[in-house]
Amino acid sequence: MNVVGVRTLFRKEIRRFFRVPGQTILQPLVTTTLYFVVFGYTLGGRQAEVDGVPYLQFIVPGLVFLGLANNAFLNSSSSLFIMKIQGTMVDLLVAPMGPLELLLGFTAGAMARGILVGLLTWAVALAFTGLHAVDVARTVLFLMLSSYVFSVLGLLAGLWAEKFEQVNVFPTFLMLPLTFLGGVFYSVASLPEPLRTVSLFNPIVHMVDGLRGGMLDRPAGSPTGLVLLLALAAGSTAWAWRLLKVGYKLKS
Amino acid sequence: MAAPVLVLEQVVKQYPGLRALDGVSLAIAPGEIFALLGPNGAGKTTLIGAACGLVRKTSGRVSVLGVDLDVDPVRPRYDVGLVPQEINFDPFFTARETLEIQLGYFGRSKDAARVDELLAALSLSAKADVPTRALSGGMKRRLLIAKALVHRPRLVFLDEPTAGVDVELRRDLWGYVRRLRAQGTTVVLTTHYLEEAEELADRVGIIDHGRLLVVEEKGALMQRLGERHLEVKFREPVAALPAGPATAGTLSADGRGFSFHERRGTAQAAEVLAGLFAAGLPVGDVTMAPASLEDVLLRVLASEREAQAAGGAR
Repeated sequence: MNVVGVRTLFRKEIRRFFRVPGQTILQPLVTTTLYFVVFGYTLGGRQAEVDGVPYLQFIVPGLVFLGLANNAFLNSSSSLFIMKIQGTMVDLLVAPMGPLELLLGFTAGAMARGILVGLLTWAVALAFTGLHAVDVARTVLFLMLSSYVFSVLGLLAGLWAEKFEQVNVFPTFLMLPLTFLGGVFYSVASLPEPLRTVSLFNPIVHMVDGLRGGMLDRPAGSPTGLVLLLALAAGSTAWAWRLLKVGYKLKS
Repeated sequence: MAAPVLVLEQVVKQYPGLRALDGVSLAIAPGEIFALLGPNGAGKTTLIGAACGLVRKTSGRVSVLGVDLDVDPVRPRYDVGLVPQEINFDPFFTARETLEIQLGYFGRSKDAARVDELLAALSLSAKADVPTRALSGGMKRRLLIAKALVHRPRLVFLDEPTAGVDVELRRDLWGYVRRLRAQGTTVVLTTHYLEEAEELADRVGIIDHGRLLVVEEKGALMQRLGERHLEVKFREPVAALPAGPATAGTLSADGRGFSFHERRGTAQAAEVLAGLFAAGLPVGDVTMAPASLEDVLLRVLASEREAQAAGGAR
């Protein structure tokens, strides 16, 4: 195992997104803050309660998830894709970096950005909601797992994409609708049938629910979110490892 | 002979509709400079890619530094460097950072002295802390070379390393490559500057249509296939050539010029020239062009194409 190589790739990824903080950190922070202000603050959300929680507090975990998942995904997908376009991927392919090293380096860098944006979003939200109880262990678990899964999914997208347009296919046409329909701004339990049952097939519903349980220190409900994240983590890792091993769209 | 650092055995690379490598076998000895020559699309870069792990071979065996790449594709890479043909650079980083990152990819800890040494050797010290996007084309090319060497590889592939580099710097780079060889580094080089191969190479391989046509020690190849060109200008027209070695040459239609191609098995140019003087011909000017690798390359490629055409005609 090339530990120095993994550490180098991880640090390089972090330096890369810190070189353009406006684009990689501030922009998503502004976007999620706007969601918070518009949906939670100005649309009368101050008075409402959802599932016994003030609406402002209720939407915070979903917004944290949105920022975290999007940024973890975008970091690994755009970094890998840009390296392919620039030709600098060759530097990694000729180096003694096997599939495991590449996977670890890229995902660790993407997780760092996802978690950073998620935590900053949370910090901004706390200014509106005030401090409240948190189940730290459960929150950390969901933050880590969610950022990991979306980092690996981003890596897969970066490997697959051949055009800039394709990098944005997943965030725009899959992640964004699934997130908006995933209970970020409302409680799925309050939906009428059959929408409620259909929503349960959206994996993001369970992930947001799991994170909400931790961040708002609510009693642990269904373990579906955790099971889904674990299954996605295992499946996407195996897939990414395989594609990196054969050099899918990296080697001719 | 010491064990070869690179061995290819019957390597085939088949793309849809194109056989880029067609059963290539080759062994590169430690410490030699091997020049791989051939026209565009001949298979040079594919061959290097197969050895560096950038190309998935269809069949055959590649062994680098004694390790079969099918068994362990990663371990030999600690000691291999590649200067790719296409210029690449990461605009987020400076030249110095780029080299530090490359060193890390190869599992080496920070080595400021090594980075400074390479920046100086490749005339990049003044631009060390400038973002790579601000470097000129030649500087970016030199940075590629520095990247390939920063981890002190034992085997280096230079795929068109001096394309776009000015003459003075090219000669500096040649000097650097010779220093590498003196330190025991093995170099596999492809180049379109045949003068470069002539200057540097110990052995030469000529590849075309994915097949290795010739692999030979450079001096022996030049002697076997090289031609020296003798050109003579007469002060006044000459009606006929004297009997003897000079008849091997050609008199121009206006009788004012004479040319002779000296190759293996023909008379020596000196004998031919002596024959002209002995016959009292009015020799005004004599030029002698040495054998060139370019001629050898063109001759090998031409004879291969003739053979193919003959094969096709049958």
